[in-house]
Amino acid sequence: MSEAARRAEALAAPLPPLLLAAERVAATVAAGLHGRRRVGQGDSFWQFRSFATGDATSRIDWRQSAKSHRTFVRETEWEAAQTTYLWRDASPSMRWRSALAPVEKAARAELLLLALAALLLRAGERVRLMDAAAPFSSGTAALSGLAATLARQPESAGLPRGASLPRFANIVVISDFLSPIEEIRALLGRFSALGARGALVHILDPAERDLPYDGRVRFLGLEGEGETIIPRVEGVREAYRARLSAQTAALADGAREAGFALISHTTEKPPETALLALYLALTA
Amino acid sequence: MSFEAPWLLSALALLPVLWWLLRVTPPSPRRQAFPALRLLLGLKPAEESAARTPLWLLALRLLAASLVILGLAGPIRGGEGEVPGRGPFILVIDNSWAAAADWGPRMAAAQAVLDRADRAGRPVALLATAARADGAPPRLSPAMPAADARALLAALAPMPWPASRGAAAAALAARPWPEAGIVYLADGLATPEDAAFTAAFAKAGPCLVLTGEEAPRLLLPPRSVGDTLVARLATLTAAPPRPPAVILAETGDGRALARVEISLAAGQSEGEAAFRLPPEIRNQLARLEIAGSAAAGHVVLLDERWRRRPVGLAAADAISAETPLIGDLYYLHRALAPYAELREGNLATLLARPLSVLILADRPLADAPEAAAVTSFVEGGGVLVRFAGPLLAEHPDDLLPVRLITGDRAIGGAMSWGKPAHLAPFPPTSPFAGLAVPNEVTVDRQVLAEPTAALAGETWAALSDGTPLVTASARGAGWVVLFHVTANDDWSNLPLSGLFIDMLRRIVALSAGVKAAPEATPLAPAESLDGFGVLGPPSAAARPLAPSAFATTPPSPSFPPGLYGPENARVARNLADGLPPLAAAGAIDGARYRGFGTLARTQAFGPWLLAAALALLVLDLLLSLFLRGVLRLRAAVLVFFLVLPLAGRAEMPASDNPALQTRLAYVVTGDDAVDRVSRSGLAGLSDYVNEHTAASLAAPAAVTPGSDDLSFYPLLYWPITTAPPAAGEIAALNDYMSHGGIILIDTRDAEAGADFNPGGATMLRRLGAALTIPPLAPLTVDHVLARTFFLLRDFPGRYDGATVWVQRDQDRSNDSVSPVIIGANDWAAAWATDADGHHPYAVIPGGERQRLLAYRFGVNLVMYALTGNYKGDQVHVPALLERLGQ
Repeated sequence: MSEAARRAEALAAPLPPLLLAAERVAATVAAGLHGRRRVGQGDSFWQFRSFATGDATSRIDWRQSAKSHRTFVRETEWEAAQTTYLWRDASPSMRWRSALAPVEKAARAELLLLALAALLLRAGERVRLMDAAAPFSSGTAALSGLAATLARQPESAGLPRGASLPRFANIVVISDFLSPIEEIRALLGRFSALGARGALVHILDPAERDLPYDGRVRFLGLEGEGETIIPRVEGVREAYRARLSAQTAALADGAREAGFALISHTTEKPPETALLALYLALTA
Repeated sequence: MSFEAPWLLSALALLPVLWWLLRVTPPSPRRQAFPALRLLLGLKPAEESAARTPLWLLALRLLAASLVILGLAGPIRGGEGEVPGRGPFILVIDNSWAAAADWGPRMAAAQAVLDRADRAGRPVALLATAARADGAPPRLSPAMPAADARALLAALAPMPWPASRGAAAAALAARPWPEAGIVYLADGLATPEDAAFTAAFAKAGPCLVLTGEEAPRLLLPPRSVGDTLVARLATLTAAPPRPPAVILAETGDGRALARVEISLAAGQSEGEAAFRLPPEIRNQLARLEIAGSAAAGHVVLLDERWRRRPVGLAAADAISAETPLIGDLYYLHRALAPYAELREGNLATLLARPLSVLILADRPLADAPEAAAVTSFVEGGGVLVRFAGPLLAEHPDDLLPVRLITGDRAIGGAMSWGKPAHLAPFPPTSPFAGLAVPNEVTVDRQVLAEPTAALAGETWAALSDGTPLVTASARGAGWVVLFHVTANDDWSNLPLSGLFIDMLRRIVALSAGVKAAPEATPLAPAESLDGFGVLGPPSAAARPLAPSAFATTPPSPSFPPGLYGPENARVARNLADGLPPLAAAGAIDGARYRGFGTLARTQAFGPWLLAAALALLVLDLLLSLFLRGVLRLRAAVLVFFLVLPLAGRAEMPASDNPALQTRLAYVVTGDDAVDRVSRSGLAGLSDYVNEHTAASLAAPAAVTPGSDDLSFYPLLYWPITTAPPAAGEIAALNDYMSHGGIILIDTRDAEAGADFNPGGATMLRRLGAALTIPPLAPLTVDHVLARTFFLLRDFPGRYDGATVWVQRDQDRSNDSVSPVIIGANDWAAAWATDADGHHPYAVIPGGERQRLLAYRFGVNLVMYALTGNYKGDQVHVPALLERLGQ
C-alpha cells in the first residue's frame, strides 16, 4: 500500500463509518450495505415484532422471547450501497506550497480524498474517481488500488470535465478553485442538472490567502499565465484579498445554488478538521 | 605605512558616486512562483515608491570597493626610514669577527635595505669588508637588481678575523658611483685603515650607518693563577653596561663543566672571573665560551698550556728507586701517575725542561750548582717536595723548610718504650685541611725539626704528639715541602695509605701550570674556527705559523684562529692573539647613525586586501541571489563556506582508540621541555622503524600511569625528572611490568652526575626502591637486545658510553624478557626530529655514526618489545635442526 494510502487510513481510522443518506439515489444504488430505513436484508437490527404464523422458527429471538410470555421475531434493516464520485485537482497550481505551509496543496487534496475514500469503503460504500477510466472500487482492500490510480494520473485541468456522470450522483470535488468563476459556475450548473449532490473542498495555501510578500517581487504563474512584477507587494495586498474573497463568495453562491456543501481549508491547518467537515456535509 | 601607487587612492573620491549609483538602481526583483497569479494580474500598488537597495548591502559593496582601491594602491607596512642617494645603493657590511654576535639583526637590517632598494628599483652593489676565506681581499660586487643581491647576501658569513677596511676602501674607490647612496652596517671596531675607508665613503656619496645596540665583546685567553683558571672578557671602554656574561667551561665533547659570570660595569673595558676546578676536571677543559652566543670572539680554545703540571721525580739511587715495594720512587710513581705527567731522570735533565713539581726522595743536593738550579726553580714558582731518609738525615742542606736536627728519631720498635705514633688532624691552614686522617697510619721513624717559633706555622701535618710530619715554607714564588718520613714504607706506612695520594694531589694542585716557551717552529693549522666559533677543517688559505709568532700575527685568512700542530700536541691560537686592544671606531663625517632596528622589514599587504574584497564580493553575490529568492538561506551559507576557505584540507579523523594500532608511549613528566623531547624522539623512532622494518607504528602516545590504560603499549619510555611520581603511578607501572610491558628508564645524565639532570640519580634510587625491579646486569653484546634486529656493540643515545642495565639473564621469569631497561644516554633526544626532518639535538661526542647507532638501538628495542625472546630462541635453531635431522 502506498504511503499516501497508509496516511489516509490512519487519518480516517478515528471517524465512525460513514453512511450516506440514499433517499433519492435508488437508480444509482446497487445491492449493498446501505440502511434503507425499512425492513429487509441486512445485518443491522431494525425492530422486534411478534411471531406470526408462517415465520420460520429460526428467526425467533429466543433471548427477547424469554423475557415475556410472547414470542418475538428479530427483523433487520434493508441495506444497500451507494457510489460516490471523487475528484481532486491535479493541476500544476496545486503542486506548490509556501514557506508557511507544511505540505503542497496537491498532497493535502490527495490525502483528503483518500481519507474520505477509506471512510466510505469501510462503510461498505463504493467510490469511483471522476474523469478516470478506473472501475468502481469497493471493500477496504480497494484503497491501495485507488491510491495507485491517483499516483498514475497525469496532470489535469483545474476543474473536472464531469462527463458520463449518472443522475443523482454523489460528488466530492477537491480543488483550489482558482479557475475563472464562470467556468466553475458552468460546472456546478451541469452537476445540478444531473440532480447530483455532494461537497466542494476549497483548498488554499496560507500564502495565497494572505500574500505575505514585501517589496519588489516578480510573480511567476505555474500554469503558463505569464508573470507580473509588483513593485511593492504590500501596496496591493488589500486589493488582492478583495479579489480573493470575491472569488470565494462567488464560489459559495454557486455551491449553494447547486446544492453542494462548500468546505474551505488552508493547508497550514490539520487535515482532520477538513475531513470532519466533509463527513458532516456528506451525512447531512 | 606607505603606498606603492598613492595616486590610485584618488579613486576613493569616486565612492560617493558609487553610493549614489547603487542607491538609485533598484535591486532586481526577487522571483516568486505563485499559483494565484490570475488574481494579481493588473494590480497596481496604491503609492509607487522607488525600491531601495538595503543600507547594509550598500555598505558592504562600498567596503568591498574601498578595499579594492586600497589593495591596488599597494600598501606597505614598515616602510619607514629613508635610505640615502638616488642612484645605486652600495650596501657595505662589516662581516668581521665582531659582527658574528649580532649576525641575525645585521642580516635582517641588510634584507630591509634590499627591500627598499627593490621597491625603489635601485640597483644594489654589495661590499663585505672582511677578507674572504680564500684569502682574497674584499670585492665590491657589480650593481645588480636587489633580488640577485639577496642571493649574494644569503651567502655572506662572518669571518673570524678583523675587517680589511683598507682593501674595502680601495674596492670602493676603484670606480665612480654617481648619485650613489651608501648603507654601512658597521661592527663598531676601529682598524688602522679607517681613515682611508671614511675618505672613500665621503667620495662615493651620502651615507647611512647602521650599528648594533651592543658593543662587541671579546673573550681573552685565560690566565692560570695557582689552581684557578681566570677567564677574561674585554669590551669597548665606552660600552654601556650589560647583563653579566656567562662563561662556560666545556670539554672537548661539548659538556659544560663549570660556569662563571663576568659583569662589566659602565666604563670598564675588561673583567675577569676565576674557575676553581679540581686538576683532573680542569685537565678535561677544551674551550671557554660565552653562553648563548655563537661567535669566534666569544670562544677561547684551551690547549696544554693551561693544564700541564709535569712532576719530576728523582731519587739518590736511580737504579734501586724503582724496585717494587721497597724502592724510593715506587709508591710516588703509583700515587701520581693517574693524575700528573711524570718525568724521571737525573736532576739536571729534569730541570732542563719546565716542571711544576719536583719531588726528591731522600736525595740530598750534592753540590752548589745543583742547589742553585733547584733554588731558581723554586723561586720561579716551582714546588719542591722532599722526602726524608737516611741520607737526608745525615746530610741536611739549605733547601729545606725547617732546620733539621741531625739524625733521626725512632719511635717504636724493639729497643724503644714508645709506640708508633699516629697522625693528628690537619690544621685548618694546611692545604691538607679537610682530608680524613685514617687511624691505621703510623710513623715509626722520622727526622726532627729544630723547634723554632715559626715551626707551628710551617707545619702542614703533625703527629698526635705534635711533632711535625710535613713542613713547608714559601720561597720566592714557589714552595719547599718536606715529608719527615721516607717515600717508601721503611719509616712509616703513610705511603701505603690512600691519604698519601690525596696529600700528593693537593700539593700538585698547589703548583702553577707550566707555560712552555712558545716554539719557533711553524705548526700547520689542524682545525680552525669559523666566524660563529665552530671548529672545522682549515681553509685552503691557512698557512703554518710558529707559536712564538701567535701574539704578533693578527688573525687573517692565512692564519685563522684555531688549533695548530700535530694531533697529540695541539696549540691553540685564539682570536684575541695578535688582536690590538678593542677600540671604538671613529665617526664618519656627514653620516647618519641609526640602529639595526630602524629599518624594519617591509611587508606588502595589498594582496590580502584584494582577497578580502573578493570574499566580500562573493558574499555580496550570494546575498543578492538570496534576496532575489534564487538561493535559500541555508544553501547560501553553505556556498559561502565552501567558496571562502580556499585552502581547506580534509583529514581522516585519527582514531584515538589505542587498541587499534601499535604505538610507543612515553610517561608524561609534567616538564614541557622533557615531554616535547620524548614526543618528538618517539615520533622519530617510529618513523625510522616504519621505514626500515616490517613493524608499523602509529604516532606515539603520551600516557600518565595510573590514569591511562597502559596495556596497549608494548614499550614505555620514561625520562626521569625530579618530579616525584604520583601515588597510583608506581602501582600502575608495577602492574604493567608484571604483565609483560617493557619500560625504558632514561636518567638522561650520561652518568655524569648532578650537572646534567640534577636530582635524576636520587630519583632513580627512590624509584628503584618503589618499583619491583628484578636483579639487573649490564647490557652486553650477548644479550638478546643487542641482536633483535641489528647486531650492536654500543647502545648510544645522545650521549655515549653510559652502562645500560637490563634484567639479569639467568632470570627466567617473564620468558627472559627484561621488564625494565635503565640507561642514561638520553635516547629520545638522539631520535628526535623536528618538522623538517632535521635533528634538533646534537649527539655528543657526535657524528652521524652515533646517531645511526642510536636509531639502531631504538629499532632493536622496539623489536625486543614486539617479539620478546623470539630472537633469543632463534640462536638455538641450528641445534634444533640438527637434532631433528638425526
